[in-house]
Amino acid sequence: MSAQHPIREEDLELLALGAVAGEECESMRVHLAACADCSRRFAEARGRVALFAFAAPPQNPPASARRRLLQKIRAEELASETSAPATPARSQYAPFHPQARWWKTIWLPATVALAILTLLLWTSDRRIDNQLRQLQQQVRVYQAQAHRMQELAAMLAAQDTKTVALAPTPRVPNAAWGRVKYNSRMGIICYTGDLPAPPPDKEYQMWIVPMAGSPISGGAFMPASFDQGRMCMAKMPAGLACKSFAVTIEPMGGMPHPTGPMVLSGSGL
Amino acid sequence: MSRAQDPENGASDWSLLERIVRKDESALVALYDRYSGIVYAESLRILRDVAAAEEILQDLFFQIWRTAEKFDPQRGSLPGWLLVAARNRAISRLRRRDSHPNDELTETSVVLPCNLESAAAQNQLLGRVKNALSSLPNGQRAAIELAYFEGMSHSEIAARLAAPLGTVKTWIRLAMEALKKELA
Repeated sequence: MSAQHPIREEDLELLALGAVAGEECESMRVHLAACADCSRRFAEARGRVALFAFAAPPQNPPASARRRLLQKIRAEELASETSAPATPARSQYAPFHPQARWWKTIWLPATVALAILTLLLWTSDRRIDNQLRQLQQQVRVYQAQAHRMQELAAMLAAQDTKTVALAPTPRVPNAAWGRVKYNSRMGIICYTGDLPAPPPDKEYQMWIVPMAGSPISGGAFMPASFDQGRMCMAKMPAGLACKSFAVTIEPMGGMPHPTGPMVLSGSGL
Repeated sequence: MSRAQDPENGASDWSLLERIVRKDESALVALYDRYSGIVYAESLRILRDVAAAEEILQDLFFQIWRTAEKFDPQRGSLPGWLLVAARNRAISRLRRRDSHPNDELTETSVVLPCNLESAAAQNQLLGRVKNALSSLPNGQRAAIELAYFEGMSHSEIAARLAAPLGTVKTWIRLAMEALKKELA
């Protein structure tokens, strides 16, 4: 699966930082390989992120490092000169070869033709390489998705999986609904539901309220980002005893603790 | 950041590269004097190993010497490529990943939002980045440093800082915003 276009600037920066992993990373890379616009914006994100190098304590390399670099390039130059085949000295009085003129007439076109053929083959090879790389990335994404779907299917079929209906609060229309299926032993929670689009710069965030302690984030989501239809799946701490579930409206990216209004809630008991 | 006296101070990166293509050693020296400080400091901060940081520095400039003709200034800036490639290599080494990250001159485009060709510009940027980082709360600063200098993913940072994943994402986003604000 490829990420949605356009990839958000902050996501491109996270990718450039290397902080995105797994399926999310693969889907963005698949999209970047095919989208010139996002690819250009990714180059800019890389540039912004690269400036964090200046947070490193200033340190100059030892003076000997430059000397060693120059020694290395001189050694390489010397090696390439000595390994080049020696050009035979041209005789002042070259022998006359009647076939030489004829040979010259085909030598140049033949060389040009060979060079063009080589270039075509090289270009084709690179294109196939690129396609192969993209396909490999897609396969990895599909494998990750298949693994998640297997986990989900196992969770849905398990005897000890529980279902909790989430009721809408007055913040959302009566038609809004949500349902959570979770399995504490497997540490998987699956949410399905129907919610209107959140306000600008906001996302929905799922909360798991344990029997003891503060609510735990089950992940921030947008209605349009559900994996299949209107469903999303997340991990939760295995073995957690759940008292209830809730969905709140939070700033983009989610919050460590609920801060926004609650739109759905339901008891897990 | 201080650097050695640069006799080619006025020359652009691109003109130096053109001369390197013609195997002009003095152009490579000028480019090295211009960027070796920041590349070395970055690698050293990641690896905390003087020999390994110097090896990365040498490899990158040797690569420029050998393949300068492949660099296309339309696709990005040379110091941008140097910073990204040095970080990739250092983190690969730190985390014992594939030792040949994809950072060929032709493969990685990096567009820097500023020109780093002069020492004054580099010093100014150094101050701005330090300002941006010092203005951040501890959590945000720790998150961005773990991501940039340790190469950690969101989930690894969340585990290290014992913070929820969503919080870590927010911290990193806020740190990036602080940097952009400082550079604006």
